[in-house]
Amino acid sequence: MENTITNRETEPVADPSGLSLVLTPLEDLTGFLLHHLGRLLLLLITSSSVIAVFLIFFFVIRESMPFLKEHDMVEFLTSKQWYPEADTPKFGALSMIVGSAYVTVASLIFAVPVGILAAVFLSDIVSFRIRELVKPVIEILAAIPSVAYGFFAVLVLAPWLQNKFGFTTGTNALNASIVLSIMALPTIISVAEDSISTVGRELREASYGLGATRFETIFKVVLPTAHSGIIAAVILGMMRAIGETMVVWMASGNAAQIPTPWWDLSQSVRTMTASIAGEMGETVKGSDHYYSLFATGVLLLVLIFALNIISEYFLVSAKKKLGKI
Amino acid sequence: MKYNTRHILNKIFTVVTAASVALMIVILIAVLGPMIWRGSSAVFFKSTVEFRKMQLDLHRRGDKTEIDDEISQSEVYRDFIYHKIDAFKKGINTDYYTDRVKKIYRQFSKELQYNGIKGDELSRRRKFARGIRRDMEKAFRSLNKAEILQIIDNINKFKGDERIANTKAVEFFALADEYRKTIKNFDLSKRQQYAQALEEVESLVKQLLGPRSNEPLPAMIMDRYGATRLDLANELLGKIIWKRQWVQQSSGKPMIEEKICRSTQFAGTELEDLFPYIEENFDKITIPRFTFYWQYFIDDSTSGHYFGGVGPEILGTLILTVLAMVFVFPLGVISAAYLVECASENMVLRIIRMCINTLAGVPSIVFGLFGLAFFVLVFIPFFGGPSKPCILAASLTLAVLTLPVMIRASEEAIRSVPKTYKEASLGLGASQFRTFVKVTLPAALPGILTGVILSLSRVAGETAPILFTGACAFGSVPKSLFSQTRTLSYGSYDIAVGDKIGMLVPHNQYGMVVTLVLLIICLNAIAIFFRAKIFRRLKGH
Repeated sequence: MENTITNRETEPVADPSGLSLVLTPLEDLTGFLLHHLGRLLLLLITSSSVIAVFLIFFFVIRESMPFLKEHDMVEFLTSKQWYPEADTPKFGALSMIVGSAYVTVASLIFAVPVGILAAVFLSDIVSFRIRELVKPVIEILAAIPSVAYGFFAVLVLAPWLQNKFGFTTGTNALNASIVLSIMALPTIISVAEDSISTVGRELREASYGLGATRFETIFKVVLPTAHSGIIAAVILGMMRAIGETMVVWMASGNAAQIPTPWWDLSQSVRTMTASIAGEMGETVKGSDHYYSLFATGVLLLVLIFALNIISEYFLVSAKKKLGKI
Repeated sequence: MKYNTRHILNKIFTVVTAASVALMIVILIAVLGPMIWRGSSAVFFKSTVEFRKMQLDLHRRGDKTEIDDEISQSEVYRDFIYHKIDAFKKGINTDYYTDRVKKIYRQFSKELQYNGIKGDELSRRRKFARGIRRDMEKAFRSLNKAEILQIIDNINKFKGDERIANTKAVEFFALADEYRKTIKNFDLSKRQQYAQALEEVESLVKQLLGPRSNEPLPAMIMDRYGATRLDLANELLGKIIWKRQWVQQSSGKPMIEEKICRSTQFAGTELEDLFPYIEENFDKITIPRFTFYWQYFIDDSTSGHYFGGVGPEILGTLILTVLAMVFVFPLGVISAAYLVECASENMVLRIIRMCINTLAGVPSIVFGLFGLAFFVLVFIPFFGGPSKPCILAASLTLAVLTLPVMIRASEEAIRSVPKTYKEASLGLGASQFRTFVKVTLPAALPGILTGVILSLSRVAGETAPILFTGACAFGSVPKSLFSQTRTLSYGSYDIAVGDKIGMLVPHNQYGMVVTLVLLIICLNAIAIFFRAKIFRRLKGH
């Protein structure tokens, strides 16, 4: 209201065009109300994302309630027996949970070092101009849709792996992990680069001034200072990998099993996301199987929510830390 | 540590970091390169006469007289091939001769009855002819050349016999001679083997040349034409000329693929020179011509994407993305405006921000579940719509999915408008609302548009959220918002994994996914360009 003239002392001056610069009390009141009603309306519209999150949780949990009520959660989380369509159906999601964790961890083993090194390269080593040239590469890697990555995994990478390494099948955990790591790279790079470049110039210059090489400066000064942001980057990359559907569905082979021995990446696995995507089309609505897939969705949602809170914590702490310095 | 070691470590580190970026570029090229290279062959390729025939039949494209001319040109060579195959087939499959001999016998007895011969005379002459018929049938069945020749010689002795003279039955002898000629260069002991090999060759030739003109038209459109593209035709040619088989070299060792020239396989037979003939006259048979098949982007496809393009998929993708944008644009911009202009740092804002971040992190498949559980089962039926997957449900789901992208992009755009703009407007007496609509929003619009384009590209590529909410693999062009649609993203999945026919046409598989990827990269390139321009403008003056 600071921009309207509200001086009641002066008489209203008749404007030649018939307009008055001074508001009547009624106009003033409506203006005031409109302002606040408008703000309220805007707030309501803005909270649409809050409503969306609420609705997602509510409806996914609601659809999974029949399953959660009837079945033992412990069995769901610890049994390896997933035979949803059998005469005596068994719902043990352990192999899928392990499958998700398996491909995620395997993909991060590749993506984290490469991502952080690339982030360091972009923020600390090359000139602005080269960075501007490399940025679009990362952006395009991030923009390629997951189904295209899945297509690449099935039709290009799988036959290549099969011929090159003699695996029994090219669609296996290794294939899925490789492609997932490619997909997680852009996320990791951009978040890590952000946090690395917010580490102040002063710190770097102090380190150089003490005679440290660039390697020492980055490893002993910059990365430790930016560690919260880098952890957040890794968690965000992890979220991308866990939540990814099309690639794992197409590339992981979809065998509901836990690889034995555990390090054997050439075996097929199945993830939670892939089992939802693959089985939902074949279930009858209202069957136990249908509800159990929603329960898997709830599991996924809770997992992602937890990871999100953790990453948020690290991002906030990174901000605070760098703010203090 | 020594100075030198430190220095070397430093250098190694620089190289390693550079290598990781180089690796990324290599990955990008490795992913996109083969895809684009092979995908472009869906649009640019050398077509055969069969392709032009198909285009004329299905879409009335091309000049009819010209194409008919081409067809008749290639027909000359085709007829020769068919002739060869048919001739050889007679030796393999003697049904042809058996049928003819039966027919002659039938005509013979009819002729006798017509001539008024009755009683004993009739049965005597018929019995004689039946004897010859049986002998000949025996010869056709036999695998022993000497025996066959003997039988034929025996039969020939009856030439001029009064019982059959001047009747249809004299044709027996001509037939016997013909058969003798057929088996002259023929190793009868290999008849079984030849039969199998011939069947293979015949089916390959059919794949290459399409069904013969005298055959009934096959029901499936994909069977009606031969190889429409030179690359597929070449592959078939290779299969026709070289027979591939897996051979066990020695026990315990893996099988080895071996190539056998079919000319040697059919050595000494009528068919031996067919294979060099096909190879030599390949260009005249197929009449390859470079084609720019731009209609790929508008054509519908036949079942399993065997022929045709991705028109309905592109249309479906556009409908879904544009509709999702219509829903999300106002929500995103208004939310961003509120977050920047009105909100103060408090609990409400923190909750809103946390929800936006959560929304951004929710896995896309969970959006699919949500879309099914909410939009399909509750929301649309609530307003009286049908409770089944449809375009509306899918685009609403996608709108929710892209809401955080939209909010973040708009927020950034609005925030980057210089404060002086706003202050000048406020100073002139405009209200906050007016300032935002008339000053801040126009200045932020290019940035917001960048956000829109980025959201569009995100939405266009999403597959998991629309799996259960509105995508389908087959079906006609959608008629209303309440029908399902084909999309590029789901189509790419289906053609790569779901559909077996897709494996036969790799160019269409790659074509589909490249259309999607190029669409998205173009959108991104536009966004990057826009952003660079805005950045320059805001920085510049």
